[in-house]
Amino acid sequence: MKTASETQPAGSSPAVTIEAVNVSHWYGNVVAVNDVSFSLGPGITGLLGPNGAGKSTILHMAAGFLRPSKGTVRIAGEGAWQNHEMYASVGFVPEREAVYPFLTGYQFVLLNARLYGLSDPADATRRAIRAVAMEAAQERRLGGYSKGMKQRLKVAAAIVHDPQILLLDEPFNGTDPAQRLQMMDLLRRMADEGRTIVFSSHILDEVERLARNVLVIVAGRLVASGDFRAIRRLMTDRPHTFTVQSSNNRRLAVALVADESVFGVELGDEHLTVRTSQFADFTRAAPRIARAEGITLHELLPTDESLESVFSYLVKR
Amino acid sequence: MNATVFTLTLRQFAGQRRSLLMFGLALIPVALAIIFRLGEHLDQQEETANFLANVVITLILPLACLIIGTSALGSEIEDGTAVYILAKPVPRREIIAAKFAASVLIAAAFVVPATVVSGLIGLQGVSEEGIVTGFAIATLVGVFAYTAVFILLSLATSRALLFGLAYVFIWEGLITELFSGTRFLSIRQYCLGIADFFATVSEQEFEATIGGPEAFILAAVAAAGALFLAVRRLESFELTNTD
Repeated sequence: MKTASETQPAGSSPAVTIEAVNVSHWYGNVVAVNDVSFSLGPGITGLLGPNGAGKSTILHMAAGFLRPSKGTVRIAGEGAWQNHEMYASVGFVPEREAVYPFLTGYQFVLLNARLYGLSDPADATRRAIRAVAMEAAQERRLGGYSKGMKQRLKVAAAIVHDPQILLLDEPFNGTDPAQRLQMMDLLRRMADEGRTIVFSSHILDEVERLARNVLVIVAGRLVASGDFRAIRRLMTDRPHTFTVQSSNNRRLAVALVADESVFGVELGDEHLTVRTSQFADFTRAAPRIARAEGITLHELLPTDESLESVFSYLVKR
Repeated sequence: MNATVFTLTLRQFAGQRRSLLMFGLALIPVALAIIFRLGEHLDQQEETANFLANVVITLILPLACLIIGTSALGSEIEDGTAVYILAKPVPRREIIAAKFAASVLIAAAFVVPATVVSGLIGLQGVSEEGIVTGFAIATLVGVFAYTAVFILLSLATSRALLFGLAYVFIWEGLITELFSGTRFLSIRQYCLGIADFFATVSEQEFEATIGGPEAFILAAVAAAGALFLAVRRLESFELTNTD
């Protein structure tokens, strides 16, 4: 299977903003991240993996808060480790909930704006708070905020300086569905503006809804990267499943099962479920077979292209 | 120095229980001085000098600096809020300078007045002979040196409070008393040397083992060295709560 490092060679593209080259990190005898390489450009990338897989370790190395035991992590072409100047164009949202409880939401974001050395920190603060829709609670102390509200304020603090690169560690923890949608919209808007956004999550649904591009980490290793639908198609040893609706499902089932690319057809009440090992061949063969039989195809849908399908396959390997 | 970090550190302290603890700690020598004055004294100057040496310099000063110094950055590292300061394009030396300045200001605001007030109470009715001035300056210098060392300790270990207590009570309280050659590595001895330098009482009443000028230089070296190492530690700071 291809990984992003193969599909997008490290350092080959001028659009690359985050690059890891043969990066490992170990804590004593425990290897947390093992020889990981990837390069990312503008857009949203989901860092996906089970708890303890090494997602935060990778994110912290990218954020300059962990020294790689081996290899290098570069942000906008510069080494991330011991490079405090990079934070002028990088925002980081930590996973930990802790904030300064004695500050109000406004004061907290303003503090961050001042630390970034912005020329008009008050104006930048107002814009950042508006972006996360926290104007109504900005004068309340952070100690009284819910977890979801703190998450949004942490995001506001990380985007107050309009960073080109945003790193978020489990940003949706504790957020309710409405807050999650709002934050996803914000991240999509930022990505559309050409920013590089990397977020970690162990929740498939979050990653699937926000990012097509994923880095899948399992037991410290990068097991796949790139568009998860493309990754799914590269899993040639695992059958693809399609649902097919046509003007005559029964007759189409008989015709499809005769094709070499198909090795299973199930006739349902309103549709067929077809299993094939060759995704591309089948998508070409199905319309041809239907036309030859004089059957009209109403729908041809790959049903297991979900991130969940990719992830469960990779984790079990 | 970064003014935002400086102000934040002051606000952090004001909102913590540590401020009450510091207030209580500063009241101890004043209360003891009042009790001391209630008794009969053969030599008020000698006994006041020894009281300031044994209570303020030996106990109150290092404990106050330990509380402030280890929490200035240590508590933020422990609860994870340090990341909001560190993920910024701010040179690490500016962060350390701001934390140090705020910590010195807080510690000095409690310890130096406590020294002066308790000294004046102890010496009421007799001439001061430079005792209060000497111990006030010694306390101020001690605040600089102790705070710098304890800030470094909070960056070097997650058990800074424990190691700080061990330094104060085992190293300074026991080992430097037993082995006089180790006194050059004791901030307490620097403070006593400075106090002795300014006090004009006779050698029989109060005498330090390190001379005043040497004590000033050693305290400055200790503070500067600790701050230099603290900057180096902060430049290599790693987040540890990763999956």
